[in-house]
Amino acid sequence: MKVFIVDTTRCNGCYNCQIACKDEHCGNDWSPYAKPQPETGQFWMKLHEYVRGNVPHVKMTYVAQMCQHCEDAPCMAACPVEGGIYKREDGLVVIDPKKCSGCMNCLDACPYGVIYFNETLHIAQKCTGCAHLLDKGWKEPRCVDVCPTGALIFGEESELSERFGAGETLHPEFGVKTRVAYFGLPNKRFIAGTVYDPKANEVVIGASCTLTGDGGTFTQETNHWGDFWFKDLQPGVYTLKIEAAGKTKTIADINAEKDIGLGDIPLE
Amino acid sequence: MEEKEKGEGTQKLSRRDFLKSAGLVAVGAAAGAGITYGLTPKPTEEGVEVAPKEGEPAPKEIVKEVIKYQTVEGVLEPAFEEELSVIRGTSAMGFGRDGMPTRVDVKNGKIVRIRPIHYADEGYGPEYMKPWKIEVRGKTLEPAYDKVLITPLGLSYKKRVYSPNRIRYPLKRVDWEPGGDPAKTNPQNRGKSKYKRISWEEATTIIASEIKRIQEKYGYFAILAQGDGHGEGKVVHGPHGCQTQLLRHMGPDPQSSYTVQVRVADSWEGWYWGGKHVNGWETTGTAAPQANVTWDIAQNCEMLLISTDPETTTWGFNQQFASRVMYWLSDIGIEQVYITPDLNYAAAVHGDKWIPVLPCQDGALYLAVAYVWLTEDTYDKEYVATHTVGFDKFADYVLGKEEGDPEGPKTPEWAAPRCGVPAWTIRALARNWFKKKTSIVGFMGPGMRGTYSTEPCRIQACVEGMQGWGGPGRHRYSVGGGLPGRAGNISFDTTLVKGEPAPARGLEEHEVAQDYFRPHQYIRKVDIHEAILNPPIKWRGTGSPWMAASDQAREFTYPIPKEQGGTEIHMIWTDTPCWTTCWNGGNKYIQALRDPKIEFVLTEHPWMENDTLYSDIILPTTTRYEEYDISAGGGDVWLVNNCIAPVGEAKTDYEVSLEIAKKLGLEEKYTWGRSVEDWMKYAWDTREIEKKTGMTWEEFKKKEFLALPFDPDWKKKLEDKPGARGFYEDPVANPLKTPTGLLEYESTFIKENFPDDKERPPVPHWIPEGETHQDNPLGERAKKYPLLCQSNHGRWRVHAEHDDIPWLREIPTCKIKGPDGYMYEPIWIHPSEAEKRGIKNGDIIGMYNERGMVLGGAYVTERIRPGVAYQDHGARVDPIVDDPNLPQSEWIDRGGANNLICPEKTLSKNCGGQVGSGFLVEVKKVDIFALKEKYPEAFAREYDPASGLRFSSWVEGGEL
Repeated sequence: MKVFIVDTTRCNGCYNCQIACKDEHCGNDWSPYAKPQPETGQFWMKLHEYVRGNVPHVKMTYVAQMCQHCEDAPCMAACPVEGGIYKREDGLVVIDPKKCSGCMNCLDACPYGVIYFNETLHIAQKCTGCAHLLDKGWKEPRCVDVCPTGALIFGEESELSERFGAGETLHPEFGVKTRVAYFGLPNKRFIAGTVYDPKANEVVIGASCTLTGDGGTFTQETNHWGDFWFKDLQPGVYTLKIEAAGKTKTIADINAEKDIGLGDIPLE
Repeated sequence: MEEKEKGEGTQKLSRRDFLKSAGLVAVGAAAGAGITYGLTPKPTEEGVEVAPKEGEPAPKEIVKEVIKYQTVEGVLEPAFEEELSVIRGTSAMGFGRDGMPTRVDVKNGKIVRIRPIHYADEGYGPEYMKPWKIEVRGKTLEPAYDKVLITPLGLSYKKRVYSPNRIRYPLKRVDWEPGGDPAKTNPQNRGKSKYKRISWEEATTIIASEIKRIQEKYGYFAILAQGDGHGEGKVVHGPHGCQTQLLRHMGPDPQSSYTVQVRVADSWEGWYWGGKHVNGWETTGTAAPQANVTWDIAQNCEMLLISTDPETTTWGFNQQFASRVMYWLSDIGIEQVYITPDLNYAAAVHGDKWIPVLPCQDGALYLAVAYVWLTEDTYDKEYVATHTVGFDKFADYVLGKEEGDPEGPKTPEWAAPRCGVPAWTIRALARNWFKKKTSIVGFMGPGMRGTYSTEPCRIQACVEGMQGWGGPGRHRYSVGGGLPGRAGNISFDTTLVKGEPAPARGLEEHEVAQDYFRPHQYIRKVDIHEAILNPPIKWRGTGSPWMAASDQAREFTYPIPKEQGGTEIHMIWTDTPCWTTCWNGGNKYIQALRDPKIEFVLTEHPWMENDTLYSDIILPTTTRYEEYDISAGGGDVWLVNNCIAPVGEAKTDYEVSLEIAKKLGLEEKYTWGRSVEDWMKYAWDTREIEKKTGMTWEEFKKKEFLALPFDPDWKKKLEDKPGARGFYEDPVANPLKTPTGLLEYESTFIKENFPDDKERPPVPHWIPEGETHQDNPLGERAKKYPLLCQSNHGRWRVHAEHDDIPWLREIPTCKIKGPDGYMYEPIWIHPSEAEKRGIKNGDIIGMYNERGMVLGGAYVTERIRPGVAYQDHGARVDPIVDDPNLPQSEWIDRGGANNLICPEKTLSKNCGGQVGSGFLVEVKKVDIFALKEKYPEAFAREYDPASGLRFSSWVEGGEL
């Protein structure tokens, strides 16, 4: 049984995965596995990018998203054609391009939105895990083959079980069991800032920062840049209290529904 | 697991079924061989029958194990059809250098896929490659010995090959006639008139006769050859400079046969014209000693100050190994601090700290760092005493003690408004830099392309010296620099014996720098527009990257004296038609191309783009996928075996000059009597590859790929003195290449040759504006143009290349779809700047100054600091207004080719680099529909959002 691992903490955002998928599938007919993907506009492998925070406390996270090859795939259940969407022995879920009737039920059924409708061919299409290549002896699909950093991994579940088991499911709230394990999903928030003394024009190092809010209470000291970075926070509203050398400052109502960079904070 | 049910008699196959059917009906590889497309010509994508080229072997038969399968219905399904596989490099370096080899799979004459080489699959497994492996603090780093770490630019190149923008056949401008009569050349219509198809016969006849006519009328120097810069890594079919291999045989001697354009140090001009006068990193100005530096940094360095983008800059030329190194450096605990106006692509994923500085204003920042160290006594005084000259003068300047200096002490408070970094952060930077062993990444760094960029580069080099450059963990670092490599490297780019040709049949760029090779009349690339519009011109220094600092004092003129054959140019022959979107003041260059004295503009190029639009005759050339050649790079050598037939009527650059040579009776001289294969063999033989590896030419042609193993002595290399350690330990025994051998805080060379230069004084200075440029963000012009344009090397292009690749254009930071459906080049602005101007993300906006306006799609983002409009350089020119009757300030480009509006002057009076970034602009919302109404012709060009303008948009009847 095959599984994917997506480690966003190793993704440099080069988009090779998305491009290789297109190189393989746009304009190339891999019947009986898949018909050609339209030249543009559809992404059987799609990289999503998130710019997080505010100048100068900004980070990016890229999340590669393709068919999750669910064990209990909602698309299969929704397909009215017998064998129209099938699961291979290796666990990959494939839409049969010849059987697909174009009813689009699977597009509605897929909670991840990774199934596309090919208007020209009048069929639903998605990631096949490059099954046509695996059957030729390839060890990995194209997206994984071109990943320069090991952010994408593909292989036998038995060999990857430990790492696979430690990962997260993309959108666990969908309640499906997927064959893709994620690391570093941007589902937590950060609150960051730089504390400085406006009289001395110096950053304040070692200021005590206490963050209180929906996700709990956290404390930190500002570092050698005068920075604090509270990471891995539950989204929610927080209050920050900064203390150093008898001075205090409180910032209330920090809405960390998004990641927040508070910029340069004078401690007066 | 549960076996899903199988339909009866369908093509759906489970793996088990598949193997079963394979076993039943498999046909052996031997039987499959011989039925590849190449032996009997098959239709190309264009439907043209093309036979293998004369004198070249037919494409090889399948040698890989390919098994034919039938489906259960007895019909061969597409997934099981045979593929032919050949090798291609993907480097966009040019200069006869290649790299990043890939397998290109071909089916029915069409490229199926481009995939990275796996060394083991080619017969070079780990036991042969013997890769090195280093470990620091429990984390290991190894080279990419298993597969090539391809970049998206090479991976997506199939779409560049098959771009609807490919030039299909020779073209002539509809209102141009040969003969030089301005009434018939209609120079004013270059870039306006369309083109019509002509035959190769007609084209080469006209070209040969125009060359003769112009040479006879004006002299040999009347023809300017533009053939330099980056391009596909090719050898025999050199992408640049094949025309010089022909022209050089026409005059009395090779140096008196044509005028050459000399490429100057581009993209690192501040280091070439400035930095190396401090540290002597000859010749390029970026050649900081890298021996064993990664190993020393890994063990000793605590902080990296990065002012470049290791996740972008290298992509066109190198693999993505730098990315792995950057992750590893973080893994072993080295802090990464980015001092950049933008949260660049490396900062976005590797950065521990981002210090957003104003573009090209870094000089103020580093002066203030020096101020903190001087006043807090936190620099390496012993090192400074023994390793530098002129330090006192520099210190006086920093402390405000220099006579007549209006700026006063360079305190953090002084620097903050100038560089845009708060004083408290500057102080923290200075303190951390002193406390932590720090290396600098980024010779591309501080303002290397800005106005007066010599100064921030020199200042940074001075500051670097104050903490003991060369000491443990204190280096100038190119990411991955000094790691062990392969056991040898093979390249075909240079001449080994003077007088003997280099196998690479383009311009020998290294040699054009040399006095014994360079034509007596030449023009620096940065001066072409000036040379045409305002001759005569004078300048100091050839500017070639391969010239030592002393060259910068030499005086040159154009044209050279009449008695030496000097003449103005009257014909341009370019194979590098990207000046408009890559160099200093593209709009001015367009005006130069329209000067009546330019009687003939000949362009050869695969794509209808940029300067090509301003030509008289255009010849279609091939991409590397349509050629037979040899190539090498990164320790690999491969045969560039036949892959696909040329697109349309394209010929290789080598063949283009050959066809013209035939008309001029110079075929034998041009080819040296050699066939393409002879040149390939010449490349192989002169590099003594058989002697080095034991592989014969015949074996190589069969195997097609040769990888050199890694250096078996790599462990010994880790004992080498890292970087500038020799200088650090004993500057007398190991001098730098400066006149004194020391770090020169006061430049001996500048003092001797340019003592009164206010724009590059002997001691580096903060120069916000001056005689040449007035791009000071706190100055007068900034009231009208308050933003600094930052223009990086594109993430999704190599300069002008790759702009038409649909799969790149879908990436959010590559293009932005406007409400009119056009894909605009993004202009990044901070939300606060957008709000001031009523701009929303995705709006079409114009970036403008007195030199014109370029459009772009607003990318409103926290990835850019306020005060900046950021747009990558190199987007494809798509003029809306470039009417010669209108002032340049009213010109508008839709493509976002911002070099059109960058300063036309070089970076300072005596420094011949370009200013492609860090110049003043303003941005505003643009009503595209109003423009469309006003300029219907420009908007009527056939356009495809996926790839941009199409070939047909400039060609009468130019259907695809």
